[in-house]
Amino acid sequence: MAHNVTSQDLPENGEKIAKKDLSLPKLIAFGLFVAGAIASYFLFNDQTFGSGYAYSWLFAFLFFLTLALGGVFWTTLHHLTNSGWGVSVRRIMENLGFIFPFMAVIAVPLMIPSVQDDLYEWMNRHREVQQTVEADPVTYSDGTTGYEAKYSNQDTVKAHEPGGGYKSPTKAQLYATHDAHDHLLKAKHWYMTLDGWLIRIVCFFVFLSAGIFLLRKISIDQDTDPNPTTRRLILARKVSCAVMPIFAVAATFLALDFLMALDYKWFSTMYGVWFFAGCALNSMAVLILALSWLRYKGYLQTVTSEEHYHVMGKLMHAFVIFWAYVSFSQFMLIWYANITEETSYFLLRNSSDFVTLADGSVTGSVNWNVWSTLLVFLHFAVPFVILLPHYMKKKVKFVVPICLYILVMHVLDLYIAVIPERGPSLSVMDKLGVDCELLLTVQHNAYLGDIVAFITVGAFFVFVFLRNLGSANTYPNRDPRILESANLHN
Amino acid sequence: MSTTVKRVYGYLAEFESASHLYKGAEQVRDAGFKKWDCYSSYPIHGLDDAMGIRRSILPYFVFFGGSTGLLTGFSLAFITQVLIYPTVVQAKPANIFTTAAFFPIMFELTILFSGFTVLFCLLGLMGLPRLNHPLFASRQFHRVTDDGFFIAIEARDPNFSAEETKAMLEAAGGKNIELVEED
Repeated sequence: MAHNVTSQDLPENGEKIAKKDLSLPKLIAFGLFVAGAIASYFLFNDQTFGSGYAYSWLFAFLFFLTLALGGVFWTTLHHLTNSGWGVSVRRIMENLGFIFPFMAVIAVPLMIPSVQDDLYEWMNRHREVQQTVEADPVTYSDGTTGYEAKYSNQDTVKAHEPGGGYKSPTKAQLYATHDAHDHLLKAKHWYMTLDGWLIRIVCFFVFLSAGIFLLRKISIDQDTDPNPTTRRLILARKVSCAVMPIFAVAATFLALDFLMALDYKWFSTMYGVWFFAGCALNSMAVLILALSWLRYKGYLQTVTSEEHYHVMGKLMHAFVIFWAYVSFSQFMLIWYANITEETSYFLLRNSSDFVTLADGSVTGSVNWNVWSTLLVFLHFAVPFVILLPHYMKKKVKFVVPICLYILVMHVLDLYIAVIPERGPSLSVMDKLGVDCELLLTVQHNAYLGDIVAFITVGAFFVFVFLRNLGSANTYPNRDPRILESANLHN
Repeated sequence: MSTTVKRVYGYLAEFESASHLYKGAEQVRDAGFKKWDCYSSYPIHGLDDAMGIRRSILPYFVFFGGSTGLLTGFSLAFITQVLIYPTVVQAKPANIFTTAAFFPIMFELTILFSGFTVLFCLLGLMGLPRLNHPLFASRQFHRVTDDGFFIAIEARDPNFSAEETKAMLEAAGGKNIELVEED
């Protein structure tokens, strides 16, 4: 064993990242984001391309949201479980989690009704009914009472571009149309309303942002305290007790409101857990990558060692299994119950648009079935087996490629969750400019939009991450347990 | 008075504290001994390195045990439900793509076989169960479950010598050095 790290080895005022290490990557990230944001503005407003780009943006937003949410999770969990091992990498967790408040910027386009009308059918129907239907109470001949619809504005309000704000129809209005689909919306009215949706999203961002801001502030204030005691340690633990339930609710319902609501007829009680598994697994991959980058630049050398890689790798390995467990449970329960309302999700994600034409040639662009099947092996089996030996988790040259690989698999995982909705929804809404009944995938250039959105949001994410990393010490140098963590042995 | 020749088990040396034991272990390791062990009433961090113990080969056994379980589970489900007696439920196909139904069995048997491999290979590698240990003959060794720290070097070790090993243990900080004989 190498010699023990003592307080003599730690600089009194901690370690900060030099400006020269940060300024160039920050500049590049910011430049990419600005260029991407300008491109996105035109793409969103494009007549034929814009509706598909909404899905690209949603996908990119959710991908980087999971990483930031995971940062919040690991910070909170670390305090909550009174952990000592990770004090020296805790600042990276805090900095990753503190991207979450900034992700609200990326969420703004998804709050605009003209973007939402490409994504969420239930919002369209709500806005349409609210603007065109007036509920008229009637008493039927058998004595029962009900509502009949009085229509107005039907010429101006389009079904798939209804306009309007965040005002939902009343239950009576939905009842009055006597439409089978509106019955479902009526039944879900207690949860699915436009103003409710907006209030929920705002609350999640406000409360969880406050939580991670507070935890990070408590930690950073300790760095310069001339009399550092355990007071902040215990305070952070108490705050975490409040933040963890907020995180659980926010992560679950952000997934439901942004992602599951793409198809309001479908529901799965495992969805929130599946989303959370993606958060925890992939943010750990990002944490390992960030740690490797900082160590490569010469920081965190005294307080971190192979042992930290080992612990973080083990957690990542555990969440590879957890992801598989949850995803498979969701699939298997739906598969064997075989109920029409539930299977739609997996039917769509196991379909292909390959068609054999009369002359024998095959046309089509995507076979989701292949990707869904590959996901099982590439997202679970491969990383599971690779991460088994201890040196795969300990050695930087092994663990860094594995982390990158896991992030690529997360792209695939979320891509399969979001993008297959695009073709069917937009073709039913008649927004593709092609005359067709049902298209599984939209035109090929929509994939380019996915890449643009991913790079734009990714650049923003990296920029904020670097900003957070640069704005504080690289590790909590006056934490009472920094030496315990520096001498970690497992 | 018995004339039976007793077999020598080895030297037993007591150490004052965990850190003395640790430093002593490093010296015994550097002297090139293989058949020896440290005894303490609680785990000591880093002692594995101080003793020069390599990582256990148990994980490799477990990997193959688990793989066997996986294959067993798959074979059990596939042979019975698809090959011998195709079971059609809700008009779902009975073929290799029915794996969703097999996974729970494959998962459970992987864990079961891994668990069994861990248990039995661990016992085997440790040489357990055994009814007695030669060191139990030493009276001072009884304190090992309370506050004693000991190093025992077996006579089976090729480096063992009656004089030099004793001197080496003394130099390493060992006290109350005792030649333990098997009962």
